[in-house]
Amino acid sequence: MFLEKIFSHGKKERQVTEDIERHIQLLCTACEIFKNSLERNDRNLIWEVIELERDADAVRRDVISHIYEGAFLPYIRPDLCKFVEIVDEVFDVLKDTAQYCLDYELPELLREESTRVALLNFRMCEMLLISFEAMLKGADLREKILGIRIYEKKIDDIKLILFKDAERVPVADFWAGKILSDLLTGLTGISDIIEDASDHLQIINVGTR
Amino acid sequence: MKVHEFMTTKIEFIDASKTVYDAVERMVDRRIRSVVVRFPGKEGDYGVLTTRDIVFKVLAKGTNPKKVKVSEIASKPVACIDKDMDFDDAATAMERSNIARLFVCDEGKIIGLISLLDVMAAELVTRARGNHVS
Repeated sequence: MFLEKIFSHGKKERQVTEDIERHIQLLCTACEIFKNSLERNDRNLIWEVIELERDADAVRRDVISHIYEGAFLPYIRPDLCKFVEIVDEVFDVLKDTAQYCLDYELPELLREESTRVALLNFRMCEMLLISFEAMLKGADLREKILGIRIYEKKIDDIKLILFKDAERVPVADFWAGKILSDLLTGLTGISDIIEDASDHLQIINVGTR
Repeated sequence: MKVHEFMTTKIEFIDASKTVYDAVERMVDRRIRSVVVRFPGKEGDYGVLTTRDIVFKVLAKGTNPKKVKVSEIASKPVACIDKDMDFDDAATAMERSNIARLFVCDEGKIIGLISLLDVMAAELVTRARGNHVS
């Protein structure tokens, strides 16, 4: 199959695909740790998320430089770079959201639903990894992409409840309110970016057939 | 997949003493198809009122919904499942009892609900994950 040829031949290509896989795996780990930090109310875990974001940054730089050193045919390079950039954007939002939790104690009223969103974010990342691996094997992504969209819809439903509940949380001043709002916006916005990444994966998949 | 991962937590409660009209108002306002009825006295004593109950037992009979108490037409007891139950088992329970929604309970308290749509969504996600069991 053409797609398998594109993604499996050549040392440089293999290096790039392995690095992209590692990039997504790091994202899965970071999302899981963030979920655990919310679940256990353990702020020390946030530092691990921040550390993983730095590692991921290095992987992203490697992927992009390897691509422009000559891996893959030129027409597919921008799409692969774009995909990696979108995954990196997820990392950025995750790190920003996690950092809010360092100085701000998430209200008990919001903890359970926030943890559910974090869990679903983690599941979406796993699904993105599964989709990427399926693409490398030349498999059809239809079911996988649908799975990601279902997760995203579920998070959207919870988002409504979260923001409604947040209205009942007393805030000390403007900045406390802003941090809470930014935290919830980041937490519930991660899924949108993962969905964008999965859409881009589908574009790469279709474009290389 | 466990039901607590995919359950809906947007649950509306209504007191048994309220009228069906109150329930209709709330259901239309919140765009939901059922409300949990709280009976006075014992903690965890719940019933459920669905759009089906309201249409078939009140509206279709030409009864005034302002004159019927929620407690008169609510179904009791509610069907409860554990939050750690698998969606496959939940689907079997729904099929066996011929019901469209199951409540997820923890220590006698309702914490969520799953509908047929949630079961379908969970099935699609499980298929998509393939051998990657969560």
